[in-house]
Order: sequence, then C-alpha cells, then structure tokens
Amino acid sequence: MTGTAEATKWRHLPPPPGFASVVSSSKSNKHTATATASYEELKAKRAWDLAFSPAKSLPMQAFMLYMSGGGVQIFSMGIVFMLLSSPFKNLASINSAFAPFAPASSSPKSLGTLSLQKIAYIFCNLLTLALGLWKCRSMGLLPTGTGDWLAFETRGQPPELLLI
Amino acid sequence: MGTFYDALTGQAVNRNGVGAPPIKLYSKILATRSAVYLLGLAKSFASYTLHVTSISPITGELVASGNVPSSVLSGFSDVVVLRDVKEPELDPRLVWLEDKAIKSFPLSPSLKAKPAVLKGATYKSVQDVGVSDYGQFVAVQEDGSGRVIRLSSEGLKVIWEYADSATSPQRSDSIYAGGLDADGYPYIARVFWSHVFKQASVHVLASHLAEGKGLVTGYTFPFRTGEYGVISHVAVDAANPEPYRVLARLFLTTSTGAVQLWQQDQLQWTREEGLTDIRAAELVELPERKVAAHAGVEHESFGTRLRRQLSDAQDFPQYAVNFARRFVTGSYASVSAPVAHSTNATEPLSRDAFGFRKVIVAATSHGKIYGIDSANGEVVWSRVFGLGWAAQVGGLIIPAKLFVTRTVNDGETPQIVLVTQRKANNGLVDTVVFHVDALTGEDAMGKSAPRDVLQGQDVVSGPLVEAFLLRTDNGRAVVLFDEFLQVHLYPETEDIRLAFEKALPTLRIPLKSGPPGQRRLTGHQIPPKVEFTGRHIAYQTWTLPFPPTEDIRAVFSRPADPVASLGKVLGNRTTLYKYLNPNLIGVVTGPSATLPPPKDAGCGVYLVDGAKGTVIYHAVLPSVDGVCDIKATLVENWLVYHYYDNEAGPGQVKSHRIVSVELYEGHGVDQKTRSSDLSSLSNETTSISVYEQSYVFPHGITTMSPTSTSYGITMKDIIIANENHQIQSFPRRFLDPRRPKQKPTAQEMEEWLIQYDPVIPNDPKRVLSHNYQVAKTRRIVTSPALLESTSLVFAYGLDLFFTRIAPSNTFDVLSENFNKAQLVFTIGGLALAIVFVKPIVETRRLRGRWHY
Repeated sequence: MTGTAEATKWRHLPPPPGFASVVSSSKSNKHTATATASYEELKAKRAWDLAFSPAKSLPMQAFMLYMSGGGVQIFSMGIVFMLLSSPFKNLASINSAFAPFAPASSSPKSLGTLSLQKIAYIFCNLLTLALGLWKCRSMGLLPTGTGDWLAFETRGQPPELLLI
Repeated sequence: MGTFYDALTGQAVNRNGVGAPPIKLYSKILATRSAVYLLGLAKSFASYTLHVTSISPITGELVASGNVPSSVLSGFSDVVVLRDVKEPELDPRLVWLEDKAIKSFPLSPSLKAKPAVLKGATYKSVQDVGVSDYGQFVAVQEDGSGRVIRLSSEGLKVIWEYADSATSPQRSDSIYAGGLDADGYPYIARVFWSHVFKQASVHVLASHLAEGKGLVTGYTFPFRTGEYGVISHVAVDAANPEPYRVLARLFLTTSTGAVQLWQQDQLQWTREEGLTDIRAAELVELPERKVAAHAGVEHESFGTRLRRQLSDAQDFPQYAVNFARRFVTGSYASVSAPVAHSTNATEPLSRDAFGFRKVIVAATSHGKIYGIDSANGEVVWSRVFGLGWAAQVGGLIIPAKLFVTRTVNDGETPQIVLVTQRKANNGLVDTVVFHVDALTGEDAMGKSAPRDVLQGQDVVSGPLVEAFLLRTDNGRAVVLFDEFLQVHLYPETEDIRLAFEKALPTLRIPLKSGPPGQRRLTGHQIPPKVEFTGRHIAYQTWTLPFPPTEDIRAVFSRPADPVASLGKVLGNRTTLYKYLNPNLIGVVTGPSATLPPPKDAGCGVYLVDGAKGTVIYHAVLPSVDGVCDIKATLVENWLVYHYYDNEAGPGQVKSHRIVSVELYEGHGVDQKTRSSDLSSLSNETTSISVYEQSYVFPHGITTMSPTSTSYGITMKDIIIANENHQIQSFPRRFLDPRRPKQKPTAQEMEEWLIQYDPVIPNDPKRVLSHNYQVAKTRRIVTSPALLESTSLVFAYGLDLFFTRIAPSNTFDVLSENFNKAQLVFTIGGLALAIVFVKPIVETRRLRGRWHY
C-alpha cells in the first residue's frame, strides 16, 4: 500500500537512461527477434571457438615437448602429465563448458545440444592426448614391447626331473 | 753310465766308457777319500745282485768293478750303505738283507773282500733311519723286536736291542727314526702306540752315553689318535743337556695328514696338511644367533608374557640412545669390514648380519672331514672316518660326493651327508655314508660319541656308480646307484620312500657307460615296480655314442641357482627368451687318458639334453698333442669354455682361447618356446638360436666357476684360477657373446655392450687373491650370501682361499660414506624452520586479507 503511494509520488521523474517503460508488444517484437537471432549466431560461433581451442595450443605444446628432450626429467614429465590429464579433465566438464552457448531451444547441460561442436571438441582433446602418448612412446615409457611384460611371465614345473 | 764331474770346477773330467751289460742300474754314489763307489743292482734270475764299481776320486779312472755275491729281493729297500764320518779310517760297508740274514761287504778301492754274515738271529728287515752316515742302522728281527747295529772295526756289532719291542697285540708296530744332536752324536728313537695304556710311547737310544754302553730314555706323550689317526712317520732330534738326561723332539706325520711337533711330551704345534687333498667341499649356511633368554617363549601365558615384555622395556631409553649414536656415527655392520667372529668357543656358530660367514665342510682323501669357519679359516671341528669292519684288515676311505641334506631354511641345524668308497686292504670295495651335523661335527646317525672316530653306514656292499641328491617336499634324500643299477636311498625313512615313489615316473638319470676309452652317455629311467631284490633297478632308455676316438672326460651341469629373468631385453624392448632347459648337461670329450692318443685327435664340447639325449650344441676343438685340456662351465643359458689353440699357420695365433656361448629360444627375437617347462620329448627343444664368440685369453687356467647369488639378479662374473697361482674374476660384459663387431649403436649401448676386441684384458685389479699364491687350485666353490650383490668364493687345491666378490659393486647396501648425520640435521633444521615461520606467515596472510 505504501509502495504504490510512493511510486505515484515519483512519477514525474524522468526514467534512467536505457530503461524503457512498459513495452508495447508489436513494434519491438521484430527488434527482439533479430536480437535473439544474432545472439544465437554469436553463441554458435563462440561454441565453435571453444570446440577448436585445444587444437590451437597444440603447436606450442609440441614445441615445448621438443625442447624438453628425451630424458625422463621433471620438466618433461610435467608437460606430459599436463597433456595427458587435460583431455580427461576437459571431457569430464564438457557439458558445463558448453552450457553458456546452448541455444535457447535446448537444455543447456544435456549431451545432445551442440553435438557437432562437442564432437569437434572431443576430437581436439584426443589429438592432445595422442601428442602426450606419442611423447611417452618416444621416451620409452609405453609398454609396447615384449620386454616390458617379461617380468609378469611365469613358467611351470618341468615334466621330467633330471638327477645330476 | 756315469760321468765324472770335478767337484771344484764342475766340468766333466772323464767319461767312463766301460761297456756295461744293459741290465745294470746304478742307484747310489758313495764318496770317500780313497775312492768313489758306484752302487747298483744287476738283474739275475730271481732277484737282484749288488754291483759295485770303484773309481779313483782324482783321475776318475775305473779302479775295480764287480758283482758282490748277494741276492737281494726287492732292491735298495733292503740295502744300507754304512759308514762313520767320525771315524774315516773304518771302511764303509754295504749291508743287505739276504735270506733273513744280514750280510755286509766292506768297501775298499780294490773291492777285494768277502761278504760277512752277522750271526746270532734271523731278521726280517733292515732300516736306514737316517744315521747310516754315523755308522748305525736298525734291524728288525723275525719276532718284530728291533736291534741297533753299529759299524765297528770288527765289522757289524749289535749294540742295543729294544726291550719289549716284539710284535704283540698289546702294542702297534714300532716306527724307528734317527737323528743327531748339536754335537753330532746319533740317536735312534722307537715310537709305538700302546693299546693297553692308550698312549704313544717313545724310547730314545743314545749310544754314546753311559760310557759307550748306550742309554735309553723312555716317555709317553698324549697323542690323540682319535683325532689325528695313526702315526705314519717320525723324525727325531735330541739334546743332551746333562750327562744322563736326553730331551727329544719328535716331528710326526699321521695318516690323516696332520703334521705335529712334540717337545718331550708337549705338543708344540699341529698343522693339518690333509687339507691339501680335499676331495669334496661345500659351504653351509649358518643359523641366526638365538638369544638364550628367549628360549622358552612358545608356551607362555598372557600374564607372563606381559611381565617379560615390561621388564624388557626397561632397557628402552638406553636402546634409544644407542640407536641414535649408531645412526649418527654409522657403526652398523659394514660390507667392507672383515667378518667378526665370536671368540667364545662355547657359543654355537651363528651367521653375521650379511650372511658372509659360513661353515666350509671339507672331506679329504686322508680319511678326515673338517668344518672350517669361513670368517678366519680356523678348523672348528674335525672327525676321522671309522673303517667299520675293515678296521681289522685296514683300508682307505675315499670321499666321493658331499651333499647338504638339511639347510637352515628347513628350520633346524644344517646337516651334510658324505658318500664315500671304502677300499679294504683285502680288495673289497664298499659304499659308506656318513651323516654329520655341519655346525658341530656330531654324528647325525647317533652311532659315534662326540670326540670319537666317526662311524658310517654301509649302504651298498659294492662299488658305487653314482650318487645324486633328490629334492622333495619332505626334504632331501641321497639316491645311490650301485653297479647293478639298483636304487638305494639314504635316509631310508618312510616319508622319503613315499616321496621317491611319487617322483619316480619323472626321474631321468644320465650315466656314463661303456668300455674305458670309449665311454658314451646313457639315459636311464626307474620302473615303478620293485624287483625281487626289494629295490628298484634302473633300465636304459637311450644311448648317445660319441665318435670312436673320443671318450667322456667330464660331465657338468648348471648350478641349482634361481634364474632372475626369463629373457634378455634388447635395446628396442624386444626380448630374446633364454633357453632354460632344466635337463641341459654339458659333456667334454677327448681322447682317452689311458690309451695312446691318435695323431689328429679332436676334442669336443657338447650340450646335451640329459633326459632324452638330444645334442643341443656341439663344438669341435683342437687337441694339444693328443691331450685335451678343456675347462667348461654352464650357468643359466650361458656356456663358457676355455682351451688352448695349437694350430699355427698364416693369420693364426697359438693362444689360449675362451669361447662364450649363449642359447636363446626360437630362431629370432620374441620367439617363445617356454623351454623351462617343456618336455624333453618335444621337438621344440632344439629350436634354439646360438650366439657365440671366442676371445683370446691371457693365460691357461686350472678351473673356472661362475658366481652365484641368492636371487640371481646380479650379473655373473666368471672366477678363474689361472696358472700363475692367482684367482681372478672376469666380468660378463667382456665375455658377452653379442658384442658388436663395429661401433655399438644406441640400442646396443643401452644394453651396455662394448665393441668386440679379440683380447680379453688381463686386469690385475680383478685378481681376488691379492699377492697371495693360491697354488694348484682344483675347484672353486661359489655360494650366495644374504646380500644379493655379493657372492662368496672358496678355492681349494694345494692352498685354501676364501673371499667375497661383488660383481656389480654392492648396490644393495647404503654406501659407508653416506652422511647420515648431515641428512638428519638438514631435515631437522628444515622442520624447525617451518615451526618458526608458519605463525608469521599466517598472521601476514590474515593481515593481508584485511588490508585489500
């Protein structure tokens, strides 16, 4: 009761800049439609940017790996660890990362929204993971040879016992 | 014939070209002022005749030569050349035993004399006891009593007869010995063992005392025959401090190889020279030291245990102080210090912190077994072998094999079983087994008293073919094969017999068989049914014949050490799987040692599957003038053999060679045939790839052996006893058969391969025996310690040598230079700094939040 009485007291004051009073429907619908359409475009473009962002840092990381050399040192292991762990971290938070760019028509946090961008994002993260694994392989850390599994081999008892 | 040399100038003066009949053999030369006599034997119908030739000492001309009318049966053992250097005008005499009488012949330059007979008694032997240059010798009469006979102007004179010296069951046969004192007077001693008093007695005759009538001093000395055996030889030395007092020094040699010096009845020292002929030796692990206070902890109630632990906890502050002191000053047991041995003799032997201290059990061919402490080389215990029923006729016990049948890992004190052959003097051969506790030398069969002669068990009444150790879940047993291939087990307990029956279908036994000079390898199996004799009899399943000129010289096998890895990982992380056939044995063949060798005889080294007879590897080696001197050793999949290459020619060098051979499964990399559990009947046992290379070795060797460690992880060095009386070790890196002929690539450098160089460097820093001479090493025994990085090495032959070697340095022990104090202080300092700085940082951070 008191609020409405006070609100009529201050009606002669001009509205603040940018503040529109009660909007009438028909004329400004077109404005908002074009505004939302460009907004959607902007969001889609931003989503594609986010999808390709891991691939952009790949050349820089490749160069850092090259500089860190072949030995198992703390610097090279740090970079390799970052390369190996960041794809998984990114994939875990993929939905929340793309949520701001979700179009208004779909739910922000579901996997199906922006599926193309998400697939591209996953692909770029896999590229990062591949680079990390390649570095591991060149350092000799990947157990690809039979020599790496030699310690796990077992042998049984021989069928003949020689007395000698 | 003889050549006469001038004593002053050393030149040949005159050659005696007298044509002598060829059946004459000169054995002795006697030089006197008037003539030089050549004494020899001439063969006649049934015996020998003495022949004397006298030669002028100045011109070398033959003065006279002729046979002495005599008939000596067994050569110069019945002849004594008697003269007295103190009375040179007495003619020297030739004394011999003929037909139970003593005859003598005086020697003069013209050799004109007639042999004289010493009348009065019949004799059975004459002995030159070492004082024949002083005119005395000993003659033993028919009844065994001894007489001393001297050279005098009237010929031979009996000056003494030893009282009570006739052969009797109350005493042993006497041994006579002669010696001199400082003034040059001869003494003759008679040494014998009295069975009645159980003591050794000496009677020393001084013939010049008591106005020339002769004085005998007798005494007994406490010779321990149960420990040292029977006295076999005596040398005597005497002193005459007062007119009627004679002090004698005896130098004894016993049948077990002990050498002793007795001064009157005091033993001065003993030296166990029997240890120069060790036939079998093993290193036995020692148990941990048991603290006596914790002897009865197994059956305690809770209350008593609590009280005991509380009372033990009173020592805690002192323990903590000691711990800190030990930690800071680093006074732990160290790998480079000598092993501290307990000087307390009553304490049982126990191992040290790293397991370097072991008991060396050694059985010699002189009839004794010793337990030697490896920390200081002292003999801890020794036992003489008892002859059993052969004690009446006499015999010899020859050790064949020594097995450790119980170790500390089986929970109780270690025991050894020694398999021996007993050759009685009546020709019978038996197999006797002795079972001894390795720490104390006590009889594990319980038959002999602790300080007495060791009694064994006659397992086989016949010769032994082979003895093996069978490892079962219930313990270890010795399996013996007699000449009919019957199987005997020792010990004959029920669970050993059951374990043997269970293992029976899988047993394969390779044996050497065939005529000597052309032996071959035959394989045997044991049928499950017992024959009518009550024992299993092994039957033959395969034969591996060798070329007709080759005989088996040696058979060797892999040591039973654990294998750490099943393959060798190459630089590109592919694997070469090692050929670990458990039935692999090595055979060295060559021309027979007994038959005359053919001209172009060859030697061979074979690697054979002992369960089927398949030849896996074969190398033909040259012989040196028909003699094969190949030393080979096999460990894991690595065979190393050493020989001398005598082939000369363009581009060929005569040198000692060492060949290193490695066997891998399959025909390439990454091929697996699982050779460790493969049946020997499978075709895959021969799918191997061989890598071998030969190197030039610096010297010849007498024996070689690889090191052995407890898990097999450390690289194996080859320990070699070379001809320069040294023990040297050669690392595996130099003997690797995959050494590349060109500069090693990066992959090969990862495997630590060095480039191939034909010569193995002779590094004096790798000589283990420092500047000691270890002569005529017969065998090197290596044994693991508790530390994985260290192996113990024991070499025996003429000398005994024990050391330890770390082939890859002591990688499993913290270095002694490690500064533990610095580490502790650094960490303590940092912790203290954190304690101080943490509140400061927190207040700063808090204030920072309020300011911005």
